[in-house]
Amino acid sequence: MASVSIRNVRKSYGPVEIIKGVSIDIQDGEFVILVGPSGCGKSTLLRMIAGLEEISGGTVAIDDRVVNDMPPKDRDIAMVFQNYALYPHMTIADNMSFALRLKNTAKSEITAKVERAAGILGLGPLLDRFPRQLSGGQRQRVAMGRAIVRDPKVFLFDEPLSNLDAKLRVQMRTEIKEMHQRLKTTTVYVTHDQIEAMTMADKIVVMHDGIIEQIGAPLDLYDHPANMFVAGFIGSPAMNFIPGSIGGDGFTTEDGSRLPLGGRVPAASDGRPAVYGVRPEHFRLADEGLAAEVVVVEPTGSETQMVLRPLGTKAGREDRKRELTWVLRERTGARPGEVVRIAPDPALAHLFNPDTGLRL
Amino acid sequence: MSRPLRKLLDKAGMAVCVLLLVSPALLFFLWMLSLSLKFEIDNGAYPPILIPERFAWKNYTTILEGNSFLLYFWNSLIVTGAATLFALLVGVPAGYGIARMRAHKSAVVIMIARMTPGLSFLIPLFLLFQWLGLLGTLWPQIIIHLVVTVPIVIWIMIGYFETTPMELEEAAMVDGATRWQIFAKVALPIAKPGIVVAFILSVIFSWNNFVFGIVLASRETRTLPVAVYNMLSFEQVSWGPLAAAALVVTLPVLILTVAAQRQIVAGLTAGAVKGG
Repeated sequence: MASVSIRNVRKSYGPVEIIKGVSIDIQDGEFVILVGPSGCGKSTLLRMIAGLEEISGGTVAIDDRVVNDMPPKDRDIAMVFQNYALYPHMTIADNMSFALRLKNTAKSEITAKVERAAGILGLGPLLDRFPRQLSGGQRQRVAMGRAIVRDPKVFLFDEPLSNLDAKLRVQMRTEIKEMHQRLKTTTVYVTHDQIEAMTMADKIVVMHDGIIEQIGAPLDLYDHPANMFVAGFIGSPAMNFIPGSIGGDGFTTEDGSRLPLGGRVPAASDGRPAVYGVRPEHFRLADEGLAAEVVVVEPTGSETQMVLRPLGTKAGREDRKRELTWVLRERTGARPGEVVRIAPDPALAHLFNPDTGLRL
Repeated sequence: MSRPLRKLLDKAGMAVCVLLLVSPALLFFLWMLSLSLKFEIDNGAYPPILIPERFAWKNYTTILEGNSFLLYFWNSLIVTGAATLFALLVGVPAGYGIARMRAHKSAVVIMIARMTPGLSFLIPLFLLFQWLGLLGTLWPQIIIHLVVTVPIVIWIMIGYFETTPMELEEAAMVDGATRWQIFAKVALPIAKPGIVVAFILSVIFSWNNFVFGIVLASRETRTLPVAVYNMLSFEQVSWGPLAAAALVVTLPVLILTVAAQRQIVAGLTAGAVKGG
């Protein structure tokens, strides 16, 4: 087990800078998830920790030892790849023991470790098979087993669940989390799926265009997003953004409706343009509030999602952005075309600067 | 038209097309087989006879008895075996290096060596071998066959190594393998089907090579193709033994190809990555 310290790390391919100065502190035993849209540099960062990618600037240290110029084999890390990367010509047991055999570990010790890992992951009966005889979920488990047997300082996961179907993904999510609670090995996990990030992480690092947007505990990011990007990225369905301006003790939307701010008006901000952010579950029915037409009703059983179009906006492509999502726990008889009036909970609403995207 | 009939017609059409396409190669072989089993008198018969009434097995016994045929067979075996072995020893690691370093320019240089007419190597190398005193041994032929076999092996292996997923090698790297261990324990076993293909093609090209042999071989170091050619020139043209000899020369390559075909088809990379 170990801490990982990333200091002002940069990565460029020629003139193109992919990672623009990133610093993260990962404590011993922590489960950290790097999350962000495709191309944000999260996988590259992980590969730099692994040593598969050269570091253009800054330092990566494992247990206070800078590893920039250390080849992967000396870093004492284990990595799980998106495509499993199992050795096709080796049995499952051989796949899992490959690293130990390279280190000339004693046979009895190898057997013991492989059996222990196989026990944790339920791979016991499959040890003599070849990767091609296994299903996707089993292969992913073998890839994890290969990491476990080594008992490394750090586990690295590169989108390990992306190739699995939805049901299996949820199941494996739980298994990975359980495994971490059991082994308490420092883990860095890359995903583009914010639900994976929310459910598994001790700490989430939200990345976007090669920089870190915010670092924090899952619920911290959910409740206190630092900017519009994080607010929009974390949470599903995504947060509603309503443009307008601050005025008096409330917020005026572009079409003139008033939204409450609950006395949290930032100082010297009268008349200032702003974006009002509210999560889909933080609306409620209200006599006064936004009047909106129901466009789509999507019951999922446990909750109902509704897409609403504020009155005064048209159904065109441009106005699609103005549409609001409302999630309610109760079932509803609302039908498309009906008009409802909803109001946000001011205590749970957010205000953002429309130019910088930062939270006000 | 009913479905089964249509299916049958499709199949028949396919069979005719295949037959047309392979017939030049096939008929040539059949005629050679027929020649090798006919007595001289049947060869000039009109209309031509495909299957003779009496088989002339003596054509085969003749070539096996006389002409030091076994010696030439042995020579061919040594030359082809050594040329292929050296080509694999050099070419497989070279192909791996070129594929991983994306050194496509050096691959082109090797290709140029392959495209240059073999004769242009022959004269300088002949002088070199003479100076080294190697003429009269099998070494000149082994060495010069590398001009043919090494590029074949390298080019096949480049293609093969380029298709093996990089993630496998990265996984090995993280698992603690050195560059050499990655090559020996991961890349090489996965590339086995590629190596088999390279081996077979190298054997075929080397076994059938004629030009190098005719220039460099002495009476004792002839390979089979040269020996067959000499039958043509020194005795008067006796088609029966000639065809028999040609068939015997072709046989080892034929058997090898048929035997190894399964190896080529077996996709070893299955299961390495998703969907494999």
